[in-house]
Amino acid sequence: MLNTGIREILLKVRDEARGSGIDARFLLHHENSHLMRIGNNSVSLNTSEELYRLDVVVREGTRQGSQTYLGMIDDIQVVRDVLKSAVDKARLAPPRDYEPLTDRVEENVDEEDQYDEALENLDPSFKEGAYGDIFARLGGKYNYSGSWSSGSTELYVITTAGDKEAYHKGTDQLFSVVLKHPGTGWELSGRQTGWRVSDFDADKTVTELERLLKVFEGADGRMVEPGTYTVIFGAAAVAEIVEMAVWTGLLGRGWEEKRGWTAGKNPGDRILGENVSLVDDPVNPDTFMFGFDYCGRRRRIFPLVGDGELINLMYDSATAAKYGKKPTGHDINSLSLVMDTGFGGEDPLKAVGTMGRVLFIPDLHYVNIPSESAGIFTGSSRFNAVLVEDGEMVSPIFSTRVTDSFVHILGGIVELSSKSESVNMSNTYGRRSPVAMSVPSYAVCAEVKITDSADSF
Amino acid sequence: MIDFDEVRKLVDENISRVISLGATYVDARFFLEDRSETLVMYDGNLEVNDTTLESGIGIRVLWDGAWGFAATSDLSGMGKCFDRAAGNARTAAGLVQTPVSLGRAEPVKGGYSTPVEIDPFTVSLRDKLEFLSGLDNDLKDDFILRRVVVANLMKRRIHFWNSEGSDVEKNLVHVFGRMMVMAVDSDGEAQRRSMGLYSTGNGGAGWEMMTNPELFSGHASRIKSELAQLIKAPRMEYGRRSVILLPGQGHLQVHETIGHPLELDRILGYELSYAGGSFVELDSFGKLQYGSEKLSVSAYGGIINSPGTFGFDDDGTPERDYLLIDKGLLVNALTSRAMINEANKRAGREVFKRSGGAARASAFYRAPIDRMTNVNIVPGTDGTLEDIIASTEDGVILDNPVSWSIGSNREHFHFGCEIAWEVRNGERTRVLRNPTYQGHTLEFYRSLSAVGDSSTWRVEQVDNCGKGEPNQIMQIGHGVPVVRFDDVITGERE
Ligand SMILES: [Zn+2]
Repeated sequence: MLNTGIREILLKVRDEARGSGIDARFLLHHENSHLMRIGNNSVSLNTSEELYRLDVVVREGTRQGSQTYLGMIDDIQVVRDVLKSAVDKARLAPPRDYEPLTDRVEENVDEEDQYDEALENLDPSFKEGAYGDIFARLGGKYNYSGSWSSGSTELYVITTAGDKEAYHKGTDQLFSVVLKHPGTGWELSGRQTGWRVSDFDADKTVTELERLLKVFEGADGRMVEPGTYTVIFGAAAVAEIVEMAVWTGLLGRGWEEKRGWTAGKNPGDRILGENVSLVDDPVNPDTFMFGFDYCGRRRRIFPLVGDGELINLMYDSATAAKYGKKPTGHDINSLSLVMDTGFGGEDPLKAVGTMGRVLFIPDLHYVNIPSESAGIFTGSSRFNAVLVEDGEMVSPIFSTRVTDSFVHILGGIVELSSKSESVNMSNTYGRRSPVAMSVPSYAVCAEVKITDSADSF
Repeated sequence: MIDFDEVRKLVDENISRVISLGATYVDARFFLEDRSETLVMYDGNLEVNDTTLESGIGIRVLWDGAWGFAATSDLSGMGKCFDRAAGNARTAAGLVQTPVSLGRAEPVKGGYSTPVEIDPFTVSLRDKLEFLSGLDNDLKDDFILRRVVVANLMKRRIHFWNSEGSDVEKNLVHVFGRMMVMAVDSDGEAQRRSMGLYSTGNGGAGWEMMTNPELFSGHASRIKSELAQLIKAPRMEYGRRSVILLPGQGHLQVHETIGHPLELDRILGYELSYAGGSFVELDSFGKLQYGSEKLSVSAYGGIINSPGTFGFDDDGTPERDYLLIDKGLLVNALTSRAMINEANKRAGREVFKRSGGAARASAFYRAPIDRMTNVNIVPGTDGTLEDIIASTEDGVILDNPVSWSIGSNREHFHFGCEIAWEVRNGERTRVLRNPTYQGHTLEFYRSLSAVGDSSTWRVEQVDNCGKGEPNQIMQIGHGVPVVRFDDVITGERE
């Protein structure tokens, strides 16, 4: 449960606001974050931050103003000042040409399903020890980097429109190690995600990297000539492509504005391949589960694409109000995107055993969208990328660019893994907002456009 | 209320205490105030009307050659925060191969304030909104589907102290502006044209930039008319030709393929777990021909009103003006104290004489890393944009990024832009839509064949450069002229 002192302050100011006829939403975000960074086989940064952020959004008719405060919430006057600033801003705002929706916590929520006290209070020496162990087991001749973020997030939403309170407390971690060959420059990476300390398993990473090391140590890098190739995308690459496709095609805002690659398509229309089904599933434990959004709306299982057909678009509160639609619980950074698995075996190499020459691109670096309308994305291979011949990994490949469209790639999956994998998609740019997706562990796509290749890794 | 003298006293006491316990170096950055305001007019509706206030302290401790960092807003618990940073450093010291060394430095005492005629936080919200509404009105037209006007204002009051006796005070102000119009072309695809506030490198950096018609507010009718041409324009076809980059695009090219690869922490391999490495090696300095002789690139560049100008970096090093690339030859990098010591030690020679003042942290709760300051192409002698067009046989003029994707060692890149103007036999012929180009960094800069004079040079502002773990968003400036590169792959192969 939220710190009692803070809760009491927030409830009191909420009640005062209601008494003054103010329409307000209070969102408290509390993070206890730790990150260890590794560079050149050393801990290059070991950092801890404990931060409280309070967002107050005030609506006055069609006008709106907000104030965010990052600091201590130990004095009721501070919260009153934050509210007052938001009120002043709302009063000065010009009216909007649509009626915004009132934020209201729909149900009392008190969720701690993915909270592990041991992870929240993990001593950094645990991470230091694990890295040291991994380096020792994989050998001293390589250059190691990595990062290990862990911590807890508390979210608490109350509004003047009701008395219900929504509270979330969870922990999350993202571990990564990068192994670089000091001479040739190839890079291998191992990543793990989870919400418990016990989700981390050093053996898993060591085994994966040892398997790849055999290929990378045994053959020179190859340059891939531009052209079309059959490509196995690994889970990280699949998650990256799907997430980008969702942001540019399945948000109500982009669709209403005819910006995205689904412009002109309607629910029921075929937009992707028959073997693609996507859902925002906040009760899937392979994702970080948030039962309510920042506006206090309940988040429920929300199908987006079924057997390639568009089912639903995600509407945040402002877009819903502007276009006369219902908000769908998507005023949140932490979606729980899940892509259904297929019928392929667990081993991607077996899946392409009869396909001849195939590129295996487990991870895509720096993906961007040259055309949202056409759904074109571009990005390059980085970690663990290899050429496969008749189901055998034969040599690492140099940095290789893929430029293709969501419709083509997600419309042309010829083999989809029957095993799912959780991929951590969090970043730490703003406040701690853990995000994980569940996707098939690989997807084999035909005729993927390779548009450039470097002569180095 | 924060009692500044009390904070200072506590910081002094704690720095001495942690040093006496065994730390090699300690510094504290106290953000008395980190304020930002974001106003977004979207189709005439004020959709974002937000101010943010942050305050707190970040502590960095060097212990047995390892860094520890901790941050808090709770100034009453400052001692605990110092202990946490020290504890983090001591844990880190258990796994250190190359101990961090800052070298020796004289204490720095000083202050810096961004030159500002009108502090944006003294302008009333009413006046700001009236200005933005006026601009939004200028963007209206029947064919335009979407209009966006954004103001992003920042103000920071930062105090820096370290165990060497340095004492620096900074008052920074940044003003960012952007406007954008969108319409649908003949194929039903969305097209956009936008414009970001820029500066001439001189003058104030306050609200006055926003209302200056040359720098920002006077460009509404231009972007509208360019969008009108864009939606009727044919698509760019695949082929090799010259590309002439206007500063709206050239600055991002410089940012991604000169700025990032020359961050010394990246070169040394400290960004491999996230952003990536660099094709530049320590051995490259003084030897690598990065570009043609027309390419000279400066750091800081004496620009006074840019978000990349801040007086002193977060090591306390005064910002200074120097060349990164001199007539095509790579000569220096973006550096901080710890990184130059490590680089020189590894190289076995003095590759870097002194810190480039590039240690920057985005907030009190982030630790400094090597960042860009202002990274600029020095103006050349190839005349005006019209002169450069006149000497171009087959090319395209490109402006403003839509998409950017760069190889992990910054060795290759792919950019999509908002608009292209075809150039044939020295003349602008027509507008082309969906332009893209790609290349390999060294080959590209070696094909630099024209650099515009100072009439074409402007300082573009970047407010969203991401790097580091935990991630940090940084503000940067780029002074760039119009530049032309030859034999570049443009468009996409069918
Ligand atoms: Zn950047």
